[in-house]
Amino acid sequence: MKVLIIIPAYNEQDNIERVVKHLTENYPEYDYVVINDGSMDKTSEICHSNHYNIIDLPVNLGLAGGFQTGMKYAYQKGYDCAVQFDADGQHRPEYIAAMIRKIEEGNDIVIASRFVEEKKPATARMIGSRLITTAIRLTSGAKIMDPTSGMRMYNKKLIEVLANNINFGPEPDTVSYLIKMGAKVAEIQAKMDERIAGQSYLNAVNAAKYMARMLISILLIQNFRNKKKVDFTK
Amino acid sequence: MSIAFRITLIIVSVFTLLYMCKKVKQEKLQIEYSIFWTLFAIMLVLFSIFPQIADWMSELVGVYSTTNFIFLLIIFILLVKCFQLTMDISKLDNKVKELVQKIAIDEKEKREQK
Repeated sequence: MKVLIIIPAYNEQDNIERVVKHLTENYPEYDYVVINDGSMDKTSEICHSNHYNIIDLPVNLGLAGGFQTGMKYAYQKGYDCAVQFDADGQHRPEYIAAMIRKIEEGNDIVIASRFVEEKKPATARMIGSRLITTAIRLTSGAKIMDPTSGMRMYNKKLIEVLANNINFGPEPDTVSYLIKMGAKVAEIQAKMDERIAGQSYLNAVNAAKYMARMLISILLIQNFRNKKKVDFTK
Repeated sequence: MSIAFRITLIIVSVFTLLYMCKKVKQEKLQIEYSIFWTLFAIMLVLFSIFPQIADWMSELVGVYSTTNFIFLLIIFILLVKCFQLTMDISKLDNKVKELVQKIAIDEKEKREQK
């Protein structure tokens, strides 16, 4: 199986070298691509001087557009699966092998989940996660324990779909829509690290906005979409 | 409000909502942009079916007639939306400009290297 690790990076000069070095030194069997989403800092320079595999976007597209660039690259190069991987070092590549096994078992999406075996803590941050889990359960019937986990793997069929269509951003609402169309989703238990350097985009206000958008999208708008767009029976 | 007018309002607002849903289904707009319009259309439907909501709200803010309140509310919402769209256009305008400049400079460098 040809695997591509897609690493969208926006202003990650303090993290990108450590993250990519860890991949190339300890996991040379996987291919990776850094998508520099119009960073203002030295992200691009660091990658080029180390000869990393990088695509530079000339303007900032946001996470969805950056990730889709990676999917287009994966589609053109004929990869069998692609995994979304954060540039801030919170995702651990040791789980990729287990995720590939789940894809080989016939799943379309595999999520590296913090809460398959472990209980979700009752913190303020996790209320949003619980709400999204409930929303997905209400509208699609599937129980996704960690819908906001950013580490997701997609199989070959979904690489093509996500690369070439609008409204398939790498977010929980897309997962809920795909489940409704018949995609098989699996979760594996995974640990995640805290971001080591740099600023997270997700402050309290942005987090609340994000949650509201996701809930409205999952509960309301995803229901209007075409449920026969992708045929998962074949 | 007369019965005929209420029925007209309900029909028009329901069709607006259906039209927007159809466009979402046809993938004519992005989810982020459709959220506003879907909520707006639902608000229109609610106001037309339950005008009591608008009555109550206009009393709450002290507007003399409900019709005035609805005009005021909708104009205000659209005004804010219009401003947001202007901001989005400015952003797009800048992005297009940057892209065109980058392509032009890259092309020139390519030609000079030959």
